[in-house]
Amino acid sequence: MDNLLALLRKACHAALLTLAVVVLNFLLIRLAPGDPVETIAGSMGGITDELRAQLRSQYGLDQPLPVQLATYVKHVLHGDLGYSYFFNLPVSGLIAERVPATLLLVLASVAVAFVLGTALGVLASRKPHGPLSQAITVLSMTGHAAPVFWSGMMLVILFASVWPILPVSDMHSMTSDGQGLAAVLDVAWHMVLPTFTLSLVYLAQYSRLSRASMLEVLGSDYIRTARAKGLSEHHVLYHHALRNALLPVVTVLGLQFGNVVAGAILVETVFNWPGLGRLAFDSILRRDYPTVLGVLLFSAIVVVLMNQLTDALYRLIDPRIRA
Amino acid sequence: MSSPVSTAPAAAPVAAPAAVPHPARDAWRMFLRSRAALAGTLLLACIVAVALFGPMVYDADPFAIVAAPQTAPGDPDAWLGTDQLGRDVLAGLVYGGRASLAVGVVAAVLSALIGLTAGALAGYYGGGVDEALTRVMEFFQVLPALLFAMVLVTLFSPSLTTISLAIGITSWTATARLTRAEFMRLRDLDFVRAERAIGAGNARIIWRVILPNALPPLVVSGTMAIGSAILFEAGLSFLGLGDPNRMSWGLMIGSARPYLLTCWWAVVFPGLAIFASVLSISLIGDGLNDALNPKLRER
Amino acid sequence: MTGFAPFLPRLRHALMACALSAVAVCQAVAADTPKPGGTLVIGTTQSPRHLNGAVQSGIATAVPSTQLFASPLRFDDKWNPQPYLAESWKLAEDGKSLTLNLRHNAVFHDGKPITSEDVAFSIMTIKAKHPFQSMLAPVEKVDTPDAYTAVIRMSQPHPAILLAMSPALCPILPKHIYGDGREITTHPANSAGVVGSGPFRFAEFVPGQRIVLTRFDKFFLPGKPYLDKIVITVNPDAQSLALGMERGDIQLLPYESVSTDLKRLQNNPNLTLTRKGYEGVGALNWLAFNLDRKPLSDVRVRHAIASAIDRNFIVKALHSGFSQVADGPIVSSSPFATTDLHRYPYDLKQAEQWLDEAGYKRNAGGERMTLTIDYLPGTDEQQKNVAEYIRTQMKKIGVTVQVRASADFASWAKRISAHDFDMTMDNVFNWGDPVIGVARTYMSTNIKPVVWTNTQSYRNPKVDELLNTAAGTLDATKRRAYYATFQKIVTDDLPIFYINTTPYHTVASKKLSNLPTTIWGPASPLDEVYFK
Repeated sequence: MDNLLALLRKACHAALLTLAVVVLNFLLIRLAPGDPVETIAGSMGGITDELRAQLRSQYGLDQPLPVQLATYVKHVLHGDLGYSYFFNLPVSGLIAERVPATLLLVLASVAVAFVLGTALGVLASRKPHGPLSQAITVLSMTGHAAPVFWSGMMLVILFASVWPILPVSDMHSMTSDGQGLAAVLDVAWHMVLPTFTLSLVYLAQYSRLSRASMLEVLGSDYIRTARAKGLSEHHVLYHHALRNALLPVVTVLGLQFGNVVAGAILVETVFNWPGLGRLAFDSILRRDYPTVLGVLLFSAIVVVLMNQLTDALYRLIDPRIRA
Repeated sequence: MSSPVSTAPAAAPVAAPAAVPHPARDAWRMFLRSRAALAGTLLLACIVAVALFGPMVYDADPFAIVAAPQTAPGDPDAWLGTDQLGRDVLAGLVYGGRASLAVGVVAAVLSALIGLTAGALAGYYGGGVDEALTRVMEFFQVLPALLFAMVLVTLFSPSLTTISLAIGITSWTATARLTRAEFMRLRDLDFVRAERAIGAGNARIIWRVILPNALPPLVVSGTMAIGSAILFEAGLSFLGLGDPNRMSWGLMIGSARPYLLTCWWAVVFPGLAIFASVLSISLIGDGLNDALNPKLRER
Repeated sequence: MTGFAPFLPRLRHALMACALSAVAVCQAVAADTPKPGGTLVIGTTQSPRHLNGAVQSGIATAVPSTQLFASPLRFDDKWNPQPYLAESWKLAEDGKSLTLNLRHNAVFHDGKPITSEDVAFSIMTIKAKHPFQSMLAPVEKVDTPDAYTAVIRMSQPHPAILLAMSPALCPILPKHIYGDGREITTHPANSAGVVGSGPFRFAEFVPGQRIVLTRFDKFFLPGKPYLDKIVITVNPDAQSLALGMERGDIQLLPYESVSTDLKRLQNNPNLTLTRKGYEGVGALNWLAFNLDRKPLSDVRVRHAIASAIDRNFIVKALHSGFSQVADGPIVSSSPFATTDLHRYPYDLKQAEQWLDEAGYKRNAGGERMTLTIDYLPGTDEQQKNVAEYIRTQMKKIGVTVQVRASADFASWAKRISAHDFDMTMDNVFNWGDPVIGVARTYMSTNIKPVVWTNTQSYRNPKVDELLNTAAGTLDATKRRAYYATFQKIVTDDLPIFYINTTPYHTVASKKLSNLPTTIWGPASPLDEVYFK
């Protein structure tokens, strides 16, 4: 019963947080200078005054601000994210169409970075000041210090001019019909460069974190006890130390998803990956505010969910913490 | 650096220093012993020097056309080549540093100020204040940083000020969390209780007593924040949302992107500049971390 | 018998020659004979909002819209109207009505017949909703005496009506779909389940990514179109599109104007480049002045600025020779263009002299005045680079110019529509008939807070009169004369200094045949295109 109540409270909390994000951004956009109808007019090449008035009423822009906000929130709670100013299509549809691409990219990148980074970090922790450890530190620092869009562009130069074996743009090849194994392989092939580029950013974090975390854990009491008990180094490292060392890494993993759209925007731009990041960027430039708000909302929901998941995961891994 | 784990029995665990001057000299010595940290400092010093004094030495307008478009590096009129417009890439590097580094520092300072204040108040007072501030922290953590910054910059038109503000506003939660944790750890310790006993006010305790002791991890975090801010600004400029009237490294990369395959030098060199800056800051940060972190000092 | 023997080798040779030439003739005939089949991938950097060109202007919409929707007329490369949906037409003697005789066999993609009702409906819709208001302004109504005859009635002679019947400007919409009472500009049928009248039917529209069209088997031109499928792929990075062309992923790249890409693609043995097909669109790159601001209100200042800009340098160095110098408001490829214009040869001394005369002498620091210049973000080569070049040049005559960059189109549009600018670069299209795309820039009645109107605040009653009269003049020679006078005056008043024609090129795979090189080029139906 207690658990259920706590869960409910958490759910409420999460929902309120998401709502707050949406409200803030809605207000910000409405209050800022600039008239969305004029932007729409510009993108249409000019409109008649009659049409201008029509659009204004259609998008509810002639209502007072609190009314607009209330209407918007009401719609959101019913799952209606409004219509894109630019495409005049439902925002939820536009987002749904782009989510898989971004999800694929981000999940793959994080997976690659996590596995590779943790492995490197653990390796480095065995001889914390040895040459391998220092090399790994420098390598991972390099991946982090180079701007992700620049790394991507370096790869584009490599694979577009020098060694054209990988596609540097889009998610599908032109002739793909989107069906069957061939299409899946096609997407996988297109995914290689963007995934690798995005993973470079997270790679640094995970290897540093897991190295530091492992070192800290390895110096702690119960590890000394385990060693004193005569357990093999291998056992100590992987069975005891790693589990605990993973805790901060898992926390970071959860926080990472706060960057679902952020890191993806830059990589998606460089590789013209048709994801949410691209949609967000294009919509901002077009002043397509309903779509921007929709993406912000979606992002917030994902982050809140991931936070909850991370909390739960944390509790699972760490035997010392129980609900 | 420090001795490996398995030798020398651990010294008595380092307790929080009790109203004793910080072992700054030890920390400093440790920092100096790290080759990586020294290399980073040297690199950063060079970069800052070029950014500050370069324009005085190499007097050229980064926006001026000096040679034919897309001239390869090695040309006497433009040693690092020209971009798609015929502008000097070297001039761009020299002048671009100011914008990139300035925004990085200002944004980091801003986020540090906000984060410190929020974290200190939340960690020290606890209770309702903590609740409220934690909610705010959560809110800003949930907000997608780059996206929100893009919206801010587009709504209020891009200038170095707007960009610094946007980055600062979206990046303070990490510092806040750290500060809050430190304050919660330190506020109930003996030396703080002692101060309260002798009648010190809350303000004094927060700013004069606890904060100095909480500084080590905050200094490291602040240093890293500068690197992140530089990358953040580069990203915004790359996307075309930087200050278009100021030359910055991100802007150079973004505007040369359509000519990437024929004019790679206009993209590679500014990227290397950003990379070098952030790398040097990371090295320094790491060095500081090792020097100031008492737990590691044991080894 | 022996008589034939010496002739045998020669006979053999002759037979061989005959056989070979027969084969050659057969091959040539085969190459000229269009084969059905194939998927054409077209690359574009701009994402269309939707696919209905009746309520949306611009080339991004025009390319898909002209495949989906047919129009009464189409044009050849000599500006002559050709039958399309209308098999014949007649412009009345008094020029106040245009009779269109429609084909009897034309159906929409859902099988329903295309009748004069649909034509009437579409024309009135375009008149009401299309951004180019001047195009059909004099149209009062469209009579439909029978199912296949439409008579457009106009309040005054309006020769532009013919060009207004072009595929890009007059898509014929199905009344039974769009006449349901919903607002047409935001009608769902614009993006999904589009029912059209053209050679290709709607298959898929993924906003911001691609458009897929397939052959319409019941198209009213039997045997056409030849292509099975058209895929329009959107990629904001022109460089990627060029790469796609090289790799053969994309076979057609219209509206390509970036010189680095053009240079690269030019040398590719599998591709052809042509600048034919853009005469109708008539894209001009120019520098506009805000005549409501001092010192630009003084025509001598404008003349001086013009004389300090070396357009040959711009064309040769900045555009690698792909563009051409433009001297007037009407592109030189238009039948209305005249060469009798005021020109401004590059002469810095003359520029300085004019500025002195106008009273703007150099001060102690060598400066005469400060001005700002804006530019359309996006096409750096045509806009930003030229603006930067102008800044450098202006310095030479003592004018300090600050380049004001806008982050995106919306920011630029906000400034210009509010008339908050000194000078701005811009890229504006003629759209065929001067009534459609030219007059809007110079009419004093069109000074509005909207981009691509008379944002320069140019007021010349003589020009207004000329443009109004020319719009209603049927006699082609007289009409040309009016526009000639107009061009001469405008190049003297110089509210706008013309720099170059936008170097649009169509890049195509050599495997494609019969590419559209009419005046409308790629903004035309691709029903005659086939793969060799």
